[in-house]
Amino acid sequence: MSGIVGLVALLLAPGVPLALAVLWSFPRLRRHIGPLAPWAAVPALLLALFGQPGATVELAWLLFGAQIGMTGTTQVFLFFTALIWFAAGIHGRGHLSKDDHCERFCVFWLLTLTGNIGLILALDVALFYTSFALMSFAAYGLIVHDGSRAALRAGRVYLVLAVLGESLILIGLILAARLTDAPLVPMLVDLPRAIAVAPERDLIIASLWLGFGVKAGLPLLHFSLPLAYAAAPVPVAAALAGAMIKAGLLGWLVTLPLGQAGLQDWGTIVIAAGLVAAFGGALIGVNQTRPRLVLAYSSISQMGMVSVAIGAWLSVPELGPLLAVAITVFALHHALAKAALFLGTEVVRHRTRRPVIWLWIGLGIPALGLVGLMPSGLLTKTTLKAALTAGSTMPEMWSSLPLLLGLAATGTTALMARHLWLLRLEAGRDDAPPAAWHGWALITAATVLGVFMLPLWGIRPDWMGALAGLPNALWPVAAGLVLAVLAWRWLRPWPIPPADVLVLLTPLPGLVLRAGQALGVTGPAIQRVLRHLQALALDRYRRADHRVGRATVHLWRRDAPLLFVLILALLAIYGLSIV
Amino acid sequence: MDWNGLVLLSVLATSLVASGVILLLAESRVVLRSVFNLAAAVLKLLLVLWIILGVYRNVDYELRFTIIEGVDFILRADALGIMFVGLSSLLWLFTTIYAIGYLERAPNRSRFFGFFSLCVASTVGIALAGNLFTFLLFYELLTLSTYPLVVHRGTRESLRAGQVYLYYTLGGGALLLFGVVALHVLVGDTEFVPGGSLSGIDPSLHPLLIGIFLMMVVGLGVKAALFPLHAWLPMAMVAPAPVSALLHAVAVVKAGAFGIARVVYDVYGIEFAYSLGLLGPLAVAASITIVYGSLRALTQDDLKKRLAFSTISQVSYIILGISLFGPVGTIGGLVHLLHQGLMKITLFFCAGNYAETLGVHKISELDGAGERMPATSVAFTLGALGMIGIPPLAGFVSKWYLGIGALSAGMNWVLAVLILSSLLNAAYFLPILYRIWFRKRDRVWCEGKALGWFETSGWLLFPTLATAAFALIAGLLAGMPFSPLYWAELIVSREYLQ
Repeated sequence: MSGIVGLVALLLAPGVPLALAVLWSFPRLRRHIGPLAPWAAVPALLLALFGQPGATVELAWLLFGAQIGMTGTTQVFLFFTALIWFAAGIHGRGHLSKDDHCERFCVFWLLTLTGNIGLILALDVALFYTSFALMSFAAYGLIVHDGSRAALRAGRVYLVLAVLGESLILIGLILAARLTDAPLVPMLVDLPRAIAVAPERDLIIASLWLGFGVKAGLPLLHFSLPLAYAAAPVPVAAALAGAMIKAGLLGWLVTLPLGQAGLQDWGTIVIAAGLVAAFGGALIGVNQTRPRLVLAYSSISQMGMVSVAIGAWLSVPELGPLLAVAITVFALHHALAKAALFLGTEVVRHRTRRPVIWLWIGLGIPALGLVGLMPSGLLTKTTLKAALTAGSTMPEMWSSLPLLLGLAATGTTALMARHLWLLRLEAGRDDAPPAAWHGWALITAATVLGVFMLPLWGIRPDWMGALAGLPNALWPVAAGLVLAVLAWRWLRPWPIPPADVLVLLTPLPGLVLRAGQALGVTGPAIQRVLRHLQALALDRYRRADHRVGRATVHLWRRDAPLLFVLILALLAIYGLSIV
Repeated sequence: MDWNGLVLLSVLATSLVASGVILLLAESRVVLRSVFNLAAAVLKLLLVLWIILGVYRNVDYELRFTIIEGVDFILRADALGIMFVGLSSLLWLFTTIYAIGYLERAPNRSRFFGFFSLCVASTVGIALAGNLFTFLLFYELLTLSTYPLVVHRGTRESLRAGQVYLYYTLGGGALLLFGVVALHVLVGDTEFVPGGSLSGIDPSLHPLLIGIFLMMVVGLGVKAALFPLHAWLPMAMVAPAPVSALLHAVAVVKAGAFGIARVVYDVYGIEFAYSLGLLGPLAVAASITIVYGSLRALTQDDLKKRLAFSTISQVSYIILGISLFGPVGTIGGLVHLLHQGLMKITLFFCAGNYAETLGVHKISELDGAGERMPATSVAFTLGALGMIGIPPLAGFVSKWYLGIGALSAGMNWVLAVLILSSLLNAAYFLPILYRIWFRKRDRVWCEGKALGWFETSGWLLFPTLATAAFALIAGLLAGMPFSPLYWAELIVSREYLQ
């Protein structure tokens, strides 16, 4: 794809879903747009497959003067994002057509997709932030789609965190943008250098890291993920877990001052947070009793491993090129595998006439990929390990990193075992929707083949290294399987609710409930007390507000003329005293 | 009087003449009144577009004559003034269309539309005023012409609100008058000139200038609803929806904010005001108002009341921008003058649509309104998201410029205020959107009137959609020539960076 075709393709990738969303506002066209919605990601997919990185299109009229284009890294992101949206769309086609709110779903789908593609292609800060916000807020409509209580709660938690995240990102971007060459039309490429020299450097890094961390499942900010993944329709969960979580990662990649010197402390913090996520996600995940929750925690755990790479990049800038490749490969691998796993949770529920063995092979492929036994997973793990051990001068504490990552992989194995085990219980409950197989089969095939397409985007994988690393990749799997079998035989899952931290933090109902039950007080009674306390606090605020309102109105209605005379007199005295 | 002066006068005259004729028309001449009113609005908009092009090409538009020795009546179209005129004539057209639909079969329409036009004439006068005296003249005229609109319904509540409104605005007007007179005594007739005209004054008089500044800003702050002078605004919500829309988006609060901009930029000059140390306190006052308005808005269940407190908060963005020393902050404040108008008028139109069509006044009754009135609800959503500052809507552009402006002015704490305000805005707007779109109505709607083809009367729907579209386009296409941002940058480059 060259020249003018490439530029048009750049515009069409986000333009087609946006145009469909706009056309949707004509009620007469709505019927026709529904069937087209899954295909809206195709232009982006074609662009990712055939486009050349480097081309840019300037859209001076858009926002403060926007620019879109592709780099090698973002092309990979575009590939898996578009593919996941496409597959998830095909998957969703069947069962959403029977839905009452199918039309509403359709427009939120298109808008979220537009945002997701837009943020990958954006080269300037304003368009990037706009697309990110569009994706975040439109996804709310997808998460709460079925209107159940769980979905509404998930939506509420998601939205509150999204608003907080957006605010943090905005703080970071504004503070960073001021120090770029053109503060009013800042480009993403200029941010890292500006941040590195900014007087508020730490504040900026913290804002951006936490702000994008809301999407990327940073520990303590992660709790919207399990709730949303479990409550949203399956295609949405696949898009959330595969594509949108990577938007957070991409946010880190393009804004954080990676490759700038003197950020060792931040590197350590990010690595530590990554390890907490990697292990915490696995520990909480294996205790979950629903496949989608297991997958959600697995995502958090996997993103923790990527965080380790980001932290390493902050600490040792010289590793940059190697880590960039490792992170990109990791993102591609995890995105496709996770999307396949999510779509699989629904496929398995449906009875079909096809031989069951194919279904289980299909379900097993992405799981094997994640634990590192498929080419993609193996390559991901070995590339990451090689990058982490490539530096000439390494911090002391890094020596244990490969071991820790291996242990985390043990957790991944246990999670996947748990997931497949739970899936077994759900098999064959419903009838099959016709389209469900295609999307899932497509994305499953991509989990196998995607990694072989890396040369297309200028990444030459080190397959020999990967093969050499195979023995090293085997022990975590073996250990994980042993653990899983042991746990299955002798342990019972510890009931950690899906919104673990949220339940513990606000307003501590989880702990209180448990304590109350221990003392013999029933749950509902405690919940009543808690609700009462909450209402009391709200009531306090409302009453204080009312009092302020009444006071101002009273004072100012009765005595407004007097007051103005008073102000006048005071100012006059002030004036006279000066003269 | 030259040709250009005549054009300027006719901009003012279109609404003045319309006002006189409409007041004289019999109540029953509905069609004639509507046609005349709309024709005047369209004509004025065309004239304003003509002048905008002229100002862009640096053509001078000025009209002046001496009233008594030393006191001139001056009308002048500069970039800042014409921006405000453009906003008011555009929104006047939409509000007139809206009001025709809204007041269908209501009593006293001649009176309403007459004063409505007079109100717009005063706004245009304020915008085009070339010196403090002319400004004051129209500023007081605005007070008097809006009073009949506030009390239009004639209920006990609205009369009381009108009384409070008068106390406040006349009190504020008196303060402004004293300030203007004091300044006149000190330096003579004060014309608005870019960069201000007071910087050369004897330093011994500086304390006096500070006092006069305070007096004028407090006087103007009443209309701009600066805390604690804002109490009239939520009470004035008893007025009909088009009036609230006009008061909030264009006429009254904007006149206050615009006046402060004139005083800071064209009377004192921003550098002189900065050197007198006047901008810091102004920024603090604006910030307090921003947070206070948002906090109060959180608990209001009456939709128009919540919007009113939101206005209090949002108008202070403009004042905040004015008080940020530096071009970027100025752009942020001035562009928000337009953006807030577009977004807020949309929200009030929507509130009016819900009230007229579904009889819904309270937020708690809005459940499922999106299904019944999708177009209105989309407009409301755009307005609300814009107020929060979510890109690509207009509010985001303002927030971005205010944020960068605050940082370049060395006032980093303002960024915290902006973010806090966005969060509070989200906290009081997102629940409304949630109710509209994601809740289900459990009863049938009690439909207000016969509606025709659309979800509500076309007179009510189209202005709403148009202003919502403008609010979206102003943000999305901010880089286009003649976008609000473009014009604000033009003002700054022309007037303050010479």
